[in-house]
Amino acid sequence: MERIIAGFVAALRESGIRVSPGESLDAVQALGLCGMEGRKSSRQLLRLTLVKNVNDIPVFNEVFNRYFSRYKFFDPDVSIPELMDAAIIDMKGEFNYLDQLPGDDHDENGPLIKLDSEINPEDLAELKSLTEIDPDDTDGVEIVVQMKGYRGKANKAPRPTRRYTQNPLTIELNKGNSTQMGITFTEEEQIAMQDVVSRMMMRLRKDMKRMKNDQNRGKLHVIKTIQKNYRHDMVPFQVALRRKRREKPRLVVLCDVSFSVSHASRFMLLLLHTLHNQMLDVRSFIYNREIAEITEMLANMPVNDLMETIDKGDIVDLDENSSFGQVFLAFKKRYLENLRGRPAFIILGDGRNNYDEANDWVLDEIREKARYMLWLTPEERDTWSRGDCLMELYGAYCDKVEVVKTVEDLSLVVEDLLRDIYADHADPVDKKRLREAKAEQTYDSKDYYTRGASGGGEPAFDPSGRSHW
Amino acid sequence: MISEQGVKDLLNTSGYIADDAIATAVFLAIHMEKPILIEGPPGVGKTGLAKALSSALDFPLVRLQCYEGIDEGKALYDWEYGKQLLYTQLLRTQLDTYLSVSADLREAVERLSSEESLFFSKNFLVQRPILRSFLSEKRSLLLIDEIDRSDDEFEALLLECLSDFQVSIPELGVIEAKRKPLTILTSNGTRMISDALRRRCLYLYIGYPELEREVAIVRVKFPEICDDLARRMVEFLRKARELNLRKPPSVSETLDWAQVLSILKATKLTPEVVANTVGVIAKHQTDLQKVTELAVQELS
Repeated sequence: MERIIAGFVAALRESGIRVSPGESLDAVQALGLCGMEGRKSSRQLLRLTLVKNVNDIPVFNEVFNRYFSRYKFFDPDVSIPELMDAAIIDMKGEFNYLDQLPGDDHDENGPLIKLDSEINPEDLAELKSLTEIDPDDTDGVEIVVQMKGYRGKANKAPRPTRRYTQNPLTIELNKGNSTQMGITFTEEEQIAMQDVVSRMMMRLRKDMKRMKNDQNRGKLHVIKTIQKNYRHDMVPFQVALRRKRREKPRLVVLCDVSFSVSHASRFMLLLLHTLHNQMLDVRSFIYNREIAEITEMLANMPVNDLMETIDKGDIVDLDENSSFGQVFLAFKKRYLENLRGRPAFIILGDGRNNYDEANDWVLDEIREKARYMLWLTPEERDTWSRGDCLMELYGAYCDKVEVVKTVEDLSLVVEDLLRDIYADHADPVDKKRLREAKAEQTYDSKDYYTRGASGGGEPAFDPSGRSHW
Repeated sequence: MISEQGVKDLLNTSGYIADDAIATAVFLAIHMEKPILIEGPPGVGKTGLAKALSSALDFPLVRLQCYEGIDEGKALYDWEYGKQLLYTQLLRTQLDTYLSVSADLREAVERLSSEESLFFSKNFLVQRPILRSFLSEKRSLLLIDEIDRSDDEFEALLLECLSDFQVSIPELGVIEAKRKPLTILTSNGTRMISDALRRRCLYLYIGYPELEREVAIVRVKFPEICDDLARRMVEFLRKARELNLRKPPSVSETLDWAQVLSILKATKLTPEVVANTVGVIAKHQTDLQKVTELAVQELS
């Protein structure tokens, strides 16, 4: 019994589910308690004890079905030559694996197990009951996942192996140059993005929390102080301070959705959408030649649906040439007035204006309203003044211009920005600490994170005096 | 020793219709003395399971509602400073005579510190939910509700309690559970629970129930609703769940709706009935519209 469970656990691990030895012991104990009454109940037992995450359940089911349909049991008194024959017949089945499409319900014969002769017949019956597939063995509520790849050893579960690796993200952001319609995220990209975002959130949250705790202090909270020091006979050893009410940092994002930067802007939207509610107040706009706000839509629609709507040109017309000048003008007219609380601005675009009017004076007005202005472009610096690119002109109005090429770049830039926004409120000691930490970080990460415009060491954002780019 | 089927029947009698997975999980939790971590969308009966179990098994329910900032003072134990102070005040004369025997200050301090344990004894310990359930004479049911709302630090604090059923109090040492409580943790998945905590628990995911089970749930709670109406309601709600609503109607909404319908004495589902009662099913403005549209589509 233990050996079979151990083998099964190994198969689970191979498919990427993390199972600790303690959990496999639990599984054995649970099976011992309940006995193996049938395939379904055994599967439930194993699932309860071995799987600790919803996302792992489909993978578990797949492995279970694969693993326990592969054994075939023989009585101890079957002679070895007979077994060999059976094995050879089965081997053919083994080779056939590779031709078979996933999803069809052929039950291949698995490797043979010759049982120990001292095994007791009842146990044997139990083991056999595991391998029988019950025709009405469905769980009803479970979702069926379509597996890609082959069955058998070569099988890979649809789980990103990069969960354990660090930096294999190579999704190029500016490859959307092709004019094909309907760029939605592939499943893999989505997983990768979620991965980046969640890692970033982990890093951020820890720091933010500490800073929040440190900086939220205000005046003395008399009642709480008295309560707290009741134990000390009212001698105020411990002081309780009022918390400062603080608002979430505000962020306004302008994303170019024309084909030249579509990939980057889509990721940007996804990223900010994830951050929204958690620690930010984000207003998102998309533009091509016209501009539209999509904050509400981002909050209410599934990301892929929204991307489709954008790609169809339902929100802003995609067939026209992008014009930054027009967009800025429209933004000023329609939205600039009702922006509250000095938000930080992120503009994502390549600055290619299609020889339209530049209207760069609007940026000056936006800057008046903004706490900070960041421009993200997928193009290298040496192309900024070529052709219709107005990056040099627009860049002068921004606090910083960054070149982002991959998803990872983008997430790091945004992370930096968030840290800066938070640090803006931090007390001097914290600010210094943050700056040091950051200097260290940029030093470390030079290999995969190249800053486009700003010099490496200088603090990216100095709230007291705007460093002109 | 209670069997899996026994668990199911017991839950049934207290009005909770369990499926096989739930019954197995409860059965294992009782016999392996391991906590169950239940995840699932809101309103599918995670907390309900704990309540039903506590009444079915006659285990007193000890509930710990988690929130951001919860700490050991709120969850495990605290010292009752007021009482300690009061006692020292009241015992002052006794203390004076007790200490007056000592020759000098040093001796007095030594004498006093030898009695220190008096002031850090169980007398002055405030038992918070977890410790209370550990010290209960009868086996209790400890419900740690919405663990995902608490902070990481609190999760770490739970590790010792959940794996060894003991609480370490620096002044008193390790206090072990008299009877290991049946422990149920629930989570809505708003935050990832750490693997360390998951590892110590059995993991149960409760999703939306199958049609038959949901109908049975409605019938058990509201017997006055006829089978046909219950089935139609559930079928309608199952369609509504596929609509991509902001807050899909859950089992608790089903039950609320059943209650409303039974109060209104409705016998048939018509678009009008749905339109009048839609506020029970949908909880956002955009959802209201979608559900009403669905009703017109499906029921007329």
